[in-house]
Amino acid sequence: MSAEPLLTVERLRKHYAVTKGILFARTLGHVKAVDDISFTIAAGETLGLVGESGCGKTTTSKLILNLEEPTDGRILLEGKPIHGLKGEALREFRSQVQAVFQDPWSSLNPRMTIGRIIAESLIVIGWGTPGKIEERVRELLRQVGLRPEQATQYPHEFSGGQRQRIALASALASRPKLIVLDEPVSALDVSIRAQMMNLLKDIQARDKLAYLLVAHDLATVRHMADRTAVMYLGRIVEYAPTKTLFEDVRHPYTKALFSAVLQARPNQPEDEIVLPGEVPSPLNPPSGCRFHTRCPFVMARCAVEEPRLREVSPGHQVACHLYQAA
Amino acid sequence: MSAAGGVKDETILEVRDLRTHFFLRRGVVKAVDGVSFTLRRGEVLGLVGESGCGKSVTALSLMRLLPKGGARAIGGEVLLDGTDILTLGDSQMREIRGRKISMILQDPQTSLNPVFTVGDQLRESIFRRAGGRTAQIMREAVAALRRVDIAAPEQRIGQYPHQMSGGMKQRVVGAIVMSGEPEVLIADEPTTALDVTIQLQYLKLLQRLQRETGMAILFITHDFGVVARLCDRVAVMYAGRIVECGPVQEVFEHPSHPYTQALIASVPAMTGPIGRLTTIEGQPPSLMDLSAGCRFEPRCRHAEARCREAYPPPVGVGPDHTADCWRLQPA
Repeated sequence: MSAEPLLTVERLRKHYAVTKGILFARTLGHVKAVDDISFTIAAGETLGLVGESGCGKTTTSKLILNLEEPTDGRILLEGKPIHGLKGEALREFRSQVQAVFQDPWSSLNPRMTIGRIIAESLIVIGWGTPGKIEERVRELLRQVGLRPEQATQYPHEFSGGQRQRIALASALASRPKLIVLDEPVSALDVSIRAQMMNLLKDIQARDKLAYLLVAHDLATVRHMADRTAVMYLGRIVEYAPTKTLFEDVRHPYTKALFSAVLQARPNQPEDEIVLPGEVPSPLNPPSGCRFHTRCPFVMARCAVEEPRLREVSPGHQVACHLYQAA
Repeated sequence: MSAAGGVKDETILEVRDLRTHFFLRRGVVKAVDGVSFTLRRGEVLGLVGESGCGKSVTALSLMRLLPKGGARAIGGEVLLDGTDILTLGDSQMREIRGRKISMILQDPQTSLNPVFTVGDQLRESIFRRAGGRTAQIMREAVAALRRVDIAAPEQRIGQYPHQMSGGMKQRVVGAIVMSGEPEVLIADEPTTALDVTIQLQYLKLLQRLQRETGMAILFITHDFGVVARLCDRVAVMYAGRIVECGPVQEVFEHPSHPYTQALIASVPAMTGPIGRLTTIEGQPPSLMDLSAGCRFEPRCRHAEARCREAYPPPVGVGPDHTADCWRLQPA
């Protein structure tokens, strides 16, 4: 890893105001979608971001894509803040950070040929002559395992797995340094999912790309990510190299999440940790540790004192009072 | 139904050579094309397969709820407790549906009516089964919600679906279904829309209800993890046919059909070495244009000439375990 990370996220917060009324709107409270998170992504590495619905994964990825302004904190790409960019600088940023979204049925314009969809990302950044763009589109289609002559077809002529390849080709077009993958395989069938995961890894190895992989499926993260951050209600509760995390789960929430993964092997013990209740509202998160209302190991101090991320082994951070020096 | 617990050999539902086709202007889509299986009292049978393999159309055929406009069960028999329900009239079917055979769908948001409270929807189902006085039905409805682990059911019963989370709505659907005391429950991907920790809560609930009542469950899913956790037997579907069927442990430890083998191998694991994932190259065939041979042949590593000529008959490969593959045919 080089000294300066590709992407640095520092104490990032995003709060959405909940208002009532139209003309004289009153603010009723704030949904703390992302609340003070920090992490880095090095060039060429994959960071996995896992958690359940509403934990703030998608908000985080929107902030990194510069589609939302943070309430507080900042995001640096190669040391330069990404929010507040305008004009040429913003266009430059867009060509360096790209995205592939979950649903390949809604992310491709049905009225454009796929060649045009891919060319679009080159045209907006003013990349070369029409002839050069056409050549690049053919090359991209080949890279993602499609045939160059398919450039004249429309999205509806392709299956889900193929559309996801088209979305990837379009993200790769401007030679980005970072691609945000927001649940890139969860809409795909099992046999197609493996094809897509292999393709993503091949392209990363060749182009030295960095990925932010937002996913809820731990097995996918295990196969793709170098490091993994686990989020719960807007906070990172555990952050470690993926290999370490899968061998030594520490946070009670991460333990429950791992235990809820049903493995494709028969005769497993039925002693999973079943969490009581559901994720509390981010509008009014619990005091102290946000997980204390569902935690099997809850102690008195958990309700009053918020635990901070602390290192428990090299590179492995956990936010839990169980692991903080008594 | 109380006598049903423990009796595992008695067949409650038998499907023989079911064919459901969609007759469209562009051609005939053979969504289900010769599906046979049995469901025994008190067991959970998993039906797994990828999108478009015909799992859900099989379920809708069993419920006689096929979409209007072209979809027809054109052949086969569905024997529910000995009666072929494909031959029943609509009013007879209405008596059975929800009482003897019931269904849970994937998305609880669309299976509950948004303009009625959950209590109204639950009471309707209880009234239809047993009738009775309002106060009695109300008490039963509260008890039904408590049975599916809904906290403070007296308050929840007056709420509308939008006031509940996805997991809670799916439990309300469970309470409505259970109030009809069905003997056969078809669950079509009921946990796909839920988060993993909520999915586990729901599967444990379903397992408890199944053990209490002895109902048989046909559990449709694409997730082998769910099959391993919940099911007694599993049937694997590909392009409108069941290609392999057997006890869960048998099928996981000795998958016999090349499709099952490849599918199990392509699931990323939570343990063991991290290497390149095994993939199945190509795409499933179009259901409008099926060859006479094995449907998996174009993607199969072991394909031979005879695979293209005719569809293989099922071969017994172990106790209660069959697979449709020419290679397994005794020479």
